[in-house]
Amino acid sequence: MKKYGRLLLAAVLMVAAFAGTAQADAQITIALGSEPTTLDPQIREDGGERAVNDNIYDTVLGRTPEGDLIPSLAVRMPELVDAQTWEVTLRSGITFHNGEPLNADAVVYSIKRVIDPEFNSEQISFFSTIKDARATGDLTLHVITDGPDPILPTRLYWLKVVPPKYSKDPKFAENPVGTGPYRFVTWQRGQHIDLVRNEDYWGPAPQITSVRYRFIEEPGTRLAGLMAGEFDLITNLLPEFTAHVPKSVNVLGLEHPIIILNADKGVTRDVRVRKALNYAVDKQALAKGLFEGFAQVAQGQLLSPSFFGYNDQVKAYPYDPDKARKLIQEAGAAGQTIELIGTSGRWLKDRDLVEAVADYWKKAGLDVKVRIFEFNEYLNRLFDRKTRADSIFVVSSNELLDADKSFSAYYKAGGVGASNTDETLADLIDAARSETDEQKRESLYHQAVELAHDQAYFVWLLNIEDIYGLSQRLVWPGRVDARLLVKEMRIQ
Amino acid sequence: MGRFIYRRLIHGLIVIFGVTIIVFVVTRMVGDPVQVMLPLESTLEQRAAFEKKLGLDRPIYIQFGEFLGNIARLDFGESLWQKRPAMDIVFEKLPMTILLTAVGIGFACVAAIPLGIIAALRPGGMVDRVTVFGSLLGLSVPQFWLGLLFIVLFAVQFKILPTSGAATPAHIIMPALTMGLPTLARLVMLVRSSMIDELNQQYVKTSFAKGLPFVRVVGLHALRNAGLPVMTLVGWEVIRSLAGYSVVVETVFAWPGIGLTAIQAIERDDLILIQAIVFTAAVCVVAINIAMDFIYKLIDPRLKLT
Amino acid sequence: MSPTSADTLEKALEKNRYERVEKLLELGRELKRDKAGLIGVILITALVMMAVFAPMIAPHDPTDQDLTARLAPPVWYEKGTWNHMLGTDHLGRDVLSRTIHGARVSLWVGAAVVLLAGGFGVVMGLMAGYLGGRTDAFVMRWIDTQVAFPGLLLALIILAVIGPSLTTVVVVLALNGWMVYGRMTRSAVLSIRQSPYVEAAEVVGCRWPRVIFRHILPNLTSPLLTLAILEFARIVLAEAALSFLGLGIQPPATSWGLDVSMGKNYMFMAWWLVTIPGCAIAVTVLAINLVASWLRLISDPQEREKQFARHMAGAMRKKMQASIEKELKAP
Repeated sequence: MKKYGRLLLAAVLMVAAFAGTAQADAQITIALGSEPTTLDPQIREDGGERAVNDNIYDTVLGRTPEGDLIPSLAVRMPELVDAQTWEVTLRSGITFHNGEPLNADAVVYSIKRVIDPEFNSEQISFFSTIKDARATGDLTLHVITDGPDPILPTRLYWLKVVPPKYSKDPKFAENPVGTGPYRFVTWQRGQHIDLVRNEDYWGPAPQITSVRYRFIEEPGTRLAGLMAGEFDLITNLLPEFTAHVPKSVNVLGLEHPIIILNADKGVTRDVRVRKALNYAVDKQALAKGLFEGFAQVAQGQLLSPSFFGYNDQVKAYPYDPDKARKLIQEAGAAGQTIELIGTSGRWLKDRDLVEAVADYWKKAGLDVKVRIFEFNEYLNRLFDRKTRADSIFVVSSNELLDADKSFSAYYKAGGVGASNTDETLADLIDAARSETDEQKRESLYHQAVELAHDQAYFVWLLNIEDIYGLSQRLVWPGRVDARLLVKEMRIQ
Repeated sequence: MGRFIYRRLIHGLIVIFGVTIIVFVVTRMVGDPVQVMLPLESTLEQRAAFEKKLGLDRPIYIQFGEFLGNIARLDFGESLWQKRPAMDIVFEKLPMTILLTAVGIGFACVAAIPLGIIAALRPGGMVDRVTVFGSLLGLSVPQFWLGLLFIVLFAVQFKILPTSGAATPAHIIMPALTMGLPTLARLVMLVRSSMIDELNQQYVKTSFAKGLPFVRVVGLHALRNAGLPVMTLVGWEVIRSLAGYSVVVETVFAWPGIGLTAIQAIERDDLILIQAIVFTAAVCVVAINIAMDFIYKLIDPRLKLT
Repeated sequence: MSPTSADTLEKALEKNRYERVEKLLELGRELKRDKAGLIGVILITALVMMAVFAPMIAPHDPTDQDLTARLAPPVWYEKGTWNHMLGTDHLGRDVLSRTIHGARVSLWVGAAVVLLAGGFGVVMGLMAGYLGGRTDAFVMRWIDTQVAFPGLLLALIILAVIGPSLTTVVVVLALNGWMVYGRMTRSAVLSIRQSPYVEAAEVVGCRWPRVIFRHILPNLTSPLLTLAILEFARIVLAEAALSFLGLGIQPPATSWGLDVSMGKNYMFMAWWLVTIPGCAIAVTVLAINLVASWLRLISDPQEREKQFARHMAGAMRKKMQASIEKELKAP
């Protein structure tokens, strides 16, 4: 009997060893939360696709891990020719993985492709101001915007350049070809995508020779894979597990949970109540308790310190429950009902945050009705322009690292998630949008931040840190823009 | 016989048609897929353009007419989520579920028949009691929990099996075991009770009395007669698995089958893909039903089937 | 009615009562013989008590959060406290209290679905079997068609669209499960109708409700009961699976399946979050299954005979062994 037991064990081990042969020296496996739906880098707004294609394609501009814009395919930062025209100069001698040359035509083609209404790209919001592009030389081109657009460089940081000839091939979406540090090898739908190092890469040669991406939605299953040694990097690690995984990395991320307050109707119409709702919440405790310290208190604005427009003069409303209660009394709002809308399972600890905030508000003397909706129904409430709820919880994520996107959506009257009709604020945001002088533009945003803060149009809660779980051998410092650039990773 | 099959086919078509209609109606009651699919910060104009592209702004009866045409052509259109033909996705995922089902239920059959026979040899004996209790236990443990237990034990603690996915043959072991266990339990009970009945039959006793070898009696006579109910159960288990019950196991082990895809499509309000999946599942269920009836008829032509 | 007839009626009732008590006692004796069945009955009684008196037994409110006491281990660990005997979950809620309250949801859903599906199925089966003809054909066609549906997939979609909740879970599971009762009732009705006493009752001119309720239904109770109990076990598992997939019971309500699904993210550092509710489901379903298999044994005359013979044989063997031993011991 014992003998058979050993035999069985040996057999199982052999099978397992066979399963694990993929572990050569400089090869890593990354587990993503979702599978790409396509590998065309320009059509979808899709986290899985981006995570893979960030390594296959290069963008015209890049960012340092700290978030500063730097040239990438461009040889230097774009320069203004006139208010609506930017000149971009490219590096020479770069080719796509299939041998097509990277030149001004390729970039012009990529721009025209993504802004073409027929193409109907979901990424259009990143490029919405670009009207046209034309090559002015082999390696120089002009990008023309439909008005002064100060954040065009930021937009170019999103522009992945595709090969003009091959991208017309129907196979392009499944068999991508870029200029980046890794080449595409294979995509087994539902299972994995493999990339291998591009030996002709124009930049410094990366250390890691090949990458396999796996797609696992369940955070528990991802974690199991990391603990079992199958993965080298997993995304969205729960804060509780940082002590249990081999290694973890945390970086201040792009996600800002906030609560939009209705400044026009209901109990939140009174600015004193809105301020009280800010004072009532102990943000520090939320960051410590709920996120185990893997979140920072948001400084009274929908921006991180690394974002353009961040106003370091504005600070978070301190936790002051007495003041909150007093303000609510003064406003005559004690005991009144406030509705708080949230959803569950969409963002990290979304429901927990809403319920914790509701608890604080109750202590300040309001009757809080928490309403957690299924995501679709929740979106109906968030986008409902006619009847805005008293307060809506939302997590804003801004990949442009610039105030414009967040402010147009949530601060500016008429934005998809805005609950105020403050004309002054809207004018500031509009003005900043077409101001090409960087300093003036920054000062406009500073004013907008201050105004919104004084009027307490939101309860600014936290800025959440991205946490990655790493295997013992992988070294990677993380990035503020949450891109998983394999060329910056190393194994020991 | 021909008439029988003809009637079965007609009924099958009615079932498939009914299922697709229900799915069409139900999925149009879903809120707005556009909302879920675009980033939160998209403008209202971008949303409208997107809706138009999907054709969801047209009157419902036009959409329905088109839908019927699509069924006839077996083309449900492009999945909203994956932006490629929904049937392509289905044909990619369905074999994985069939593989998982085949291995899981195959394992259950292989293990159940000897276990059931051994238990039946001495009803009420120690072996029998342990088997019966074990089967009851197997029926009572929730699959999702068992799967998690397997992962913790075999993948994380002992590190002998991979946690999730379907890349190598080793990947199928845990999902198939989890999938097959309740089936195994039901099969053991069934084999056991039919064998007890058969072994009590006069002809079996006579065969033993005549001195025929044990294996021959049990294997040839008793087992053959117990075969029909066992086959019914196996067919039913396969149907169950294709009718959606594989979703739990597939979710736990991230097995890229049709069940996991269905859950993902539901989460993303991808009504096109949902329709394609349910339609395919209905076709499979109907086909297996017909096949089983056909086999019955072949085995025992006296059976009255309408 | 004359006093004498009233008297006899009284006596008959008395006798009836006596017979009932006798029957119950007999059932008790049978139960004592079948250890597994006994354990099942005891477990189920305990579970029902737990569900009914949950608010009194549970040490905490199952939804009470305490962010400072998150993921506390059970009491036998160094860091465990008696305050949270089985530890706390990721929001600091008491696992023991959630498990106790979870019994409510499981049993409630099970009972409601069995009643709804069973009620509807039996009515349809009675109609089909008794009225025959077109009604029969229609009902059977309906059942055949619905049985061929990919049931769980449809259920998942309907739940996702209407929005999952306790009520929708019950309705969807009932809609999915009534066909078994319908088929079983119909075939039973068909066979009972052939029996002489029902034919006699019909000849005498009994109206159909009387025939159904006095003659047919009582004969159906025992197989229906066994079926209902087996279905109950299936429903408890189905509810747990739906809740696990996120399409069943929604927070802040509690359910064992939901607790496993929330706990699975933490299973490597807090095994109790998955294990305890998982065990609760397994024990509940096992108890129900034990009772069902015992009931099937005693309600099936053939099985009963075998059981009895086995019992007698065992007793005789023991007796003989004892006497042999006695003889051997005797000098």
